[in-house]
Amino acid sequence: MRTLVLGFPVLGLPVLGLPVLGLLALSGTAGASDADDLLSALKQARTLEARGTVEVTVLFPPRESPTKSAKALPRVPFRPGLLARNFGVSRMGQETVAGRRTSRFELIPKNSQAARWTLWIDQEWNIPLAYQESFPDGTPARRAMFQKVNAQPARIQVSVPVPPEGLRAALLSALPGLRLPAGIQPTEVKSRPGGGLEISLTDGVNVFALVTSPRGVRAAPGIASRRVGAGFVWLVGNLPQSALDQALAKVIRVNTAGLETLRGTFLKVDASNVQNTPDSR
Amino acid sequence: MNDHDLDTLFAQARTPTPADEGAAGRFLSGQQRRRTRQRNIRAGWISTLLASAAAVAGLTVLRPAPELPASAAYGVYQSAWGDGW
Repeated sequence: MRTLVLGFPVLGLPVLGLPVLGLLALSGTAGASDADDLLSALKQARTLEARGTVEVTVLFPPRESPTKSAKALPRVPFRPGLLARNFGVSRMGQETVAGRRTSRFELIPKNSQAARWTLWIDQEWNIPLAYQESFPDGTPARRAMFQKVNAQPARIQVSVPVPPEGLRAALLSALPGLRLPAGIQPTEVKSRPGGGLEISLTDGVNVFALVTSPRGVRAAPGIASRRVGAGFVWLVGNLPQSALDQALAKVIRVNTAGLETLRGTFLKVDASNVQNTPDSR
Repeated sequence: MNDHDLDTLFAQARTPTPADEGAAGRFLSGQQRRRTRQRNIRAGWISTLLASAAAVAGLTVLRPAPELPASAAYGVYQSAWGDGW
């Protein structure tokens, strides 16, 4: 099973057919083992990081120059507990990334509307050498992949940001009627310069932004904005527009007093030296 | 014309006639109308000015702020991803 590589190319990468992924997802033993292997690699990435030349491409949200170069993989705020709960993990075989042998892992979300992910894990170092986020139809949304890798990985130390206690309850109390898509949890609250709050959400891999603001925002792909009372609520993320709209459709009022007591309680991570780390949640 | 004639003429000119009384009444009532009209015009301008100021202030305060561009939302989303992307 681990050597199966079928496929059609996406950005030059072979991708398994959906029927095979379905069979793999039904294979409980292999899925659990594969998930454990992946979580082990993500844990290893707390202390070890590959360096070299990385090509980073972001197609959602759209930007003027979608591709840039970096010396290390950008951070993905993995949360292993949520990842294991919200994704089926399958090891799909071996591939070469920047001249190094890797295992390719497919992360298929249990919420079929969420983005799926592919991770390439270095077989010797047991750390990621590439990620790809794909839309539900398989087309890429963002990707980071080493083109060249230094001979030795670098030692790093990553602090683990823990969501404030009671954040989910405070969020649902602040925005009664909010219907977060399945599996999504809030992780952080920040103040906005012009007033309002920014709440980061995750399903363990994907990231979403929920915003309370005195002003609305123009409609665009991946953005829902709804007037509630005297202000607005936005939800931004890689989900179908209908899912974003439904999440906000029943919000009846905004009272963020309870949320404001939880903002900014995060440990700050030194982004220049550290990759964001999975925690146990 | 001698002095007597002139005295008689001046005496006639000094004596008010019914026509003179009517003219004074017409002048006084006209003057009153003109004053009232000027007051009304002044009051109208002030009212219009105050109403305009109130309308402008109301529009400024009550008009919903224009929508932010989509880049504002994408910026928050990108920030949630963290550095490097």
